[in-house]
This record gives sequence, C-alpha cells and structure tokens, in this order.
Amino acid sequence: MALVSGPGRAGALPDELQLAVEAHVKYIQSLDTRRDELEYWLTEHLRLNGLYWGVTALHLLNRPDALPRTETIDFVLSCQAENGGFGAAPGHDAHLLSTVSGIQILAMVDGYEELEKRGKVVAFEGKEYKGKEVVGRYLSGLQNKETGTFAGDEWGEEDTRFLYAGLNGLNLLGLLDLVNVDLAVDYIVSCANFDGGYGVSPGAESHSGQIFTCLAALSIAKRIDTVDKDKLGQWLSERQVEQGGLNGRPEKLEDVCYSWWVASSMTMIGRLHWIDGKKLTEFILRCQDPVGGGFADRPGDMVDVFHTCFGVAGLSLLEFEGLEEVDAV
Amino acid sequence: MASHGVARPATIVPRTEQERIEEEREIKQYRELEDLIRSKIAERQYTVEVLELTSKLLKKNPEYYTIWNVRRRLLIYGLFSKPLDSSSHSTESQNISQTDIPTTSSAKPFSSSSISSEASSTTPQNPASQSHGKNGTTLDIIKADLDFLFPLMMKYPKCYWLWNYRLWLLQEGNQRLGAEFAQELWSRELILVGKMLVKDSRNFHGWGYRRTVVSQLESPKLNGKSMVEAEFEYTTKMIHGDKGLSNFSAWHRRSKLIPRLLDERHANDATRRKFLDDEFDLIISAMYTDSYPYAQSAWFYYQFLMTTLTDYIGHATITPNFTTLDRSEYVIRQLAILKDMLDGAEDCKWIYSALIEYTLALCQMEEREPDIDEKQDCKAWLAELRKLDPLRSGRWADLDNSLRK
Ligand SMILES: [Zn+2]
Repeated sequence: MALVSGPGRAGALPDELQLAVEAHVKYIQSLDTRRDELEYWLTEHLRLNGLYWGVTALHLLNRPDALPRTETIDFVLSCQAENGGFGAAPGHDAHLLSTVSGIQILAMVDGYEELEKRGKVVAFEGKEYKGKEVVGRYLSGLQNKETGTFAGDEWGEEDTRFLYAGLNGLNLLGLLDLVNVDLAVDYIVSCANFDGGYGVSPGAESHSGQIFTCLAALSIAKRIDTVDKDKLGQWLSERQVEQGGLNGRPEKLEDVCYSWWVASSMTMIGRLHWIDGKKLTEFILRCQDPVGGGFADRPGDMVDVFHTCFGVAGLSLLEFEGLEEVDAV
Repeated sequence: MASHGVARPATIVPRTEQERIEEEREIKQYRELEDLIRSKIAERQYTVEVLELTSKLLKKNPEYYTIWNVRRRLLIYGLFSKPLDSSSHSTESQNISQTDIPTTSSAKPFSSSSISSEASSTTPQNPASQSHGKNGTTLDIIKADLDFLFPLMMKYPKCYWLWNYRLWLLQEGNQRLGAEFAQELWSRELILVGKMLVKDSRNFHGWGYRRTVVSQLESPKLNGKSMVEAEFEYTTKMIHGDKGLSNFSAWHRRSKLIPRLLDERHANDATRRKFLDDEFDLIISAMYTDSYPYAQSAWFYYQFLMTTLTDYIGHATITPNFTTLDRSEYVIRQLAILKDMLDGAEDCKWIYSALIEYTLALCQMEEREPDIDEKQDCKAWLAELRKLDPLRSGRWADLDNSLRK
C-alpha cells in the first residue's frame, strides 16, 4: 500500500486531477451537522446507509478515526428494531438493506462486542437470542425457503440485490450457515441472460447494478465458476464511454456509482484490464468537488455521500496511490 | 443523499435570514407531521384521518419507507375492514367514479385470518376492526390508493418504494377480492405502465413492472390466458417507435418472448425457419437504415439471434431441429452479410467484432481450427478494432493472444 501522496509530486496529475483527501474528509464529517437543512430530514430514511457510505470512504481514505467510534456504534445500535433488524434511523422499520449497512459499519469499526453487550434480545421460534445471532436470524428469516432469494422486509418484495445483501450480512457475521446458500446460487444462475449478464429476477434484462450483486453473491458463495466470464466481460467492457466513465446499461449516461459496480464486477471475473483504467481514474477524479469535498455522479453535478463512497472505492480498485485496498465484494 | 443529474452551482450563495427562517419553519412542520403520525399509530388509530396524514407526508417525501409501512398497517388493521366514509376521504378520492364501486355481493368478504402471520406478529391487530366491511369497500380503498400513487409515480418514476407499495396493494387485492375485481385492477395497471413507458421508454422499473402485471393477468387464479402474442406485438410497436431501435429493454423483452410465442403457435420447423429469417431481416434492414450499425442495442438483438444458432445448448432457441449443417449455413450467410455491411461503415467497430466472434464460433461448431484465410481475416479485423476502439485495448490484446494459439 502506497503512502498518501503530497501535492506537487513529480510526474503527478494536473491539479484538478489530484485527490482532494482533506476536502472529502471534511465533507463527510460535515454531513451530520446539517440539521438546519430540510434535506437532512428528507433523507432520514437513508441515515444508516449514509453512515456506512461515509465510514467506508473514510476507511479507504486512510482516515478511519475521522468520525468518532463510540458515537458511530451508539447510533447503529439505536437503529435496531424490536424484531432484531436495523432501520435506517431510530424508530424506522427494520429493512434488510439498512440491517446490512449496520453490520458493515460494526464490522469496520470493530463493534461486534458492543452488539453482543447492548443489542436487542429477541425470541425466534420461542427461543431467545442476543447479539450477532439476533441479527443473523432476522436476515435468515427473509430468505424464501423455496426459491433461495431474499425479501427486503416483512412485506415481501424480492430482488437479487437483497439476495446479495443478505448473504453479505450473514457472511460478515460468520453466520452463513443459517441460510441455504446452494439454493441462493441456483436462483442467481436462473437470472442469467444469454449476454452473460443478470437481471433483478429471472427474465429481467441485464443491468450493471444487478450484475454486481449477483457476482458478489456468487463470490461469497465461492461459486464464481458458474459465470460466463468472456461474454459477461464483453458486455461490461462496453459500459465504458468516450469520457472514460462507465454506464449501467447500453446507451445510458456514465456515472460514478456505475463505474464502481462495473469495475468491481470486472475485477471479480478477472477482466478489469478490458477497460481503460487511466481514463476511468480521470473521469472519477473529475467528478469530485475539490473545494467543498465529495463526489458527484458526473463532473459538475451536486455531490453526495453515496457517490463519494463509490468514487473513492472505484479509485481504490484502480489502485490509486494513497488509498486502502478495497475488496471488490 | 444519492442525487443524479443535479447541476452543482458555480458559487454557493448563503441563505438569507428570511430563507433560513422559512426552511426552519418547513422542517418544524415536517417533523411535527411525522410525530403526529407516529403518536396516532402508537395509539392504534387506524383511521381515514391518519391515512390522510400519511398521504400528506408521503407527497413531501415518497422515499420514507416506514410511512409506507404505516399505511399498509392502516389498511390491514383498520380501513380494509370498515366502510369508507367517502366525505372525509374526498381529498384523495375526488377522481374516483362512484359507479366503480360494486354493489353486488360478488366481492369476496375477507376474514382477519387472511392477514399474513408475519405481519400480525409485528403489529397486534386492532380488536375494534374485527367487523367485516360493506362489500366493495376494500376494492374502493385499493382503487383510491392506486389513484393516490399515480401522480407520485409520474413525478418520481425511479422511486423504488412507490412501485413496491403499488405491487403490495394489488397483491392485497388478489387476496381480498374476487378474481374478476382483481383482474380489473391488474388490467388498469397494464394501461398505466403503458403510459409510463411512453414517457420514458427505457424505465427499468417500468419494464420490470410490465412483466409482473402481464404474468398476473396470465395467471390461473385470475382466470387469465396467455398474452404472449399481444406482448410480442407490443415490442414490435416499441421497436418501430421513436428511438425504438436503440431500445435495449424492448429488444430484451422480445428475445424472452420468442421461445414461448413459437411454442404456443405450435410452430413447425418450416414456420420456425421463416420466423428466424424474418427476425434477421428486421434487424439487418434496421441496421441499414437510420445509420443503426452504430447502435449497441441493435447489436444486442443480433447477438441474441446468432446465439440461438452458435451457442444454443442451455439457451433459448428458435429452430431446435436445425442440424449442424443448417446452423453452419446460417452463420456463413450472416458472415457474408456482415462483410457487405462494412462497405460504407468501415469505422463501425461492432461489425468487426461480430465478424471475429462468429468466424471463431463457426470453427467451433464445425469442430475445426480456423484455416489460414480465416486467421488472416480475423487478424485484419482485429487490427481495425484496435485502431477504432483503444479504450478496450486490453480486451483486444487477450483476443490477439487467443488467435495466436
Ligand atoms: Zn449514480
């Protein structure tokens, strides 16, 4: 891992293509101080997910201490609902996606011990559990026992991104054996299209976001051998457009978040070298606000913490100097 | 928190004192509304008044999934089982014709036992709501709620929670209403999703939703029958519409419908061969007009048709009884067409890439190595690709290596 590069290094990129580390750190730190803006309240349903994006970006920027650990853990635990899952904010209903964000944050800040101590005690099928076991059982309860896929919450809608999130959360908890992984793999295989890609459900068109979730789930299940790597690699490589960024589907605009999903998918099947990494790096760097910090979907647009996370993660995947290595999954 | 396509202002103008006060007032209003709903729900007031409060909040913030869940509980534990007081609900249901409400007893009454055990374990049922409502009440509420959603969906077509809630409502209809009423609701959905796809013909949620609606309308529980012919027609219409040829979603849907379409037509080998010829004609003539050899989506469909010949094991096929010789003949004919297509489109990378792919596929089908001419051709086409498409030079390098083997 390379050290953080200083400004003005010999042979470095032009000024506008430097990574504005300090600005990004400040931007992420400032996010929770915007309580006087309506937007802050209108996005409360994404608070825990937002915290995950912020914490991830800070870890990749080698600044894991930029947000206070104790407060972070306190907030995560305050989002736990009575059924053991986590909502997006205190008092919000539990959902698979916010639950997995909670687990990911606790894993990054080494907070499992606090979960064991202070997490909710919940009964499943008449037996009481605590800590990680509670969260694991909430997640495993969302798996469809017949098809192997996952619902997002008690109301039941299913989507391959929930399947990935479910396996990812359980894997981080070390509780993958609570679900039927083989059945989940069969379901993903049934979502494959002749172009090598995957859709939200069997029969749905290939989409970069879904391809990422399916490949990541297959990686967790150690079944990436089921993928048609050359065909999928071709489809994914065609996502790079002239400006260097990647789009999500044919003939759509490029975007920093898709740049991450496509590039990490290509990494998982060993085909990242099929696109121009230098041009992609430059595209991502052009999406940052070097003064105010943060990344946008495209150059010149409004920044947000979601694109900031995926911008930094994309750069890390491309082995940009000074960043922690990211796990493609 | 995740914005797309919103331009960043060149300079950030600080809020004036007046703007600050105004924003503070809006926050206060929003949070008070939120608190009010939460306290009413805590008291289990599953009433039309609280439903309207959630409508007010969701119009401000359709992404607030917990409030959508509150709304579901309001319906399940309260409103579905009580007659609707139409005067107090009029703000939301002005556009609902009262004649839509069935007055016969054909709407199946539902019982509290139809509530899913999962849901009832998270929210205890309101004992006051055990009585069954008048016939038609549930249908009326579902229709009113669908109508409430419609303008929100037009305004926020990419909001996942809106699609999610809408599907849930219709599933409730399946469980609580007779098949003919449920069928009527899903039929309205087909019209709605048609409108959404006119507005944005690539809306991902829209195409997915269309698949769900159609499979519901086809299902035996709604006394449905196959709609594959009509859906196939629909993709033809979309492809011939504005920018239709670059509509990846429409081509995708078409590719998925074809195997079923032919099966249901009980197509014989000759009909299938004719069908394949017609599809090739459709895509190739499209490529020749409107400068479409450069459109990726058209190539996607071309790839699909070719895959049914070259890589048919485990994939959809149009002509299952083709011999290897039939398949080779078709591929050879297509290679000739592609070579012709290069004339005047020498800068079109898709043609070169297709030529290489299907030349190699032909060799594989015929279980032989490429001959000297084929190798020469592939190398020449690859050289063009490297020039035309430097972004993917790593891919071309790998291809070059495999050609040298
Ligand atoms: Zn994006």
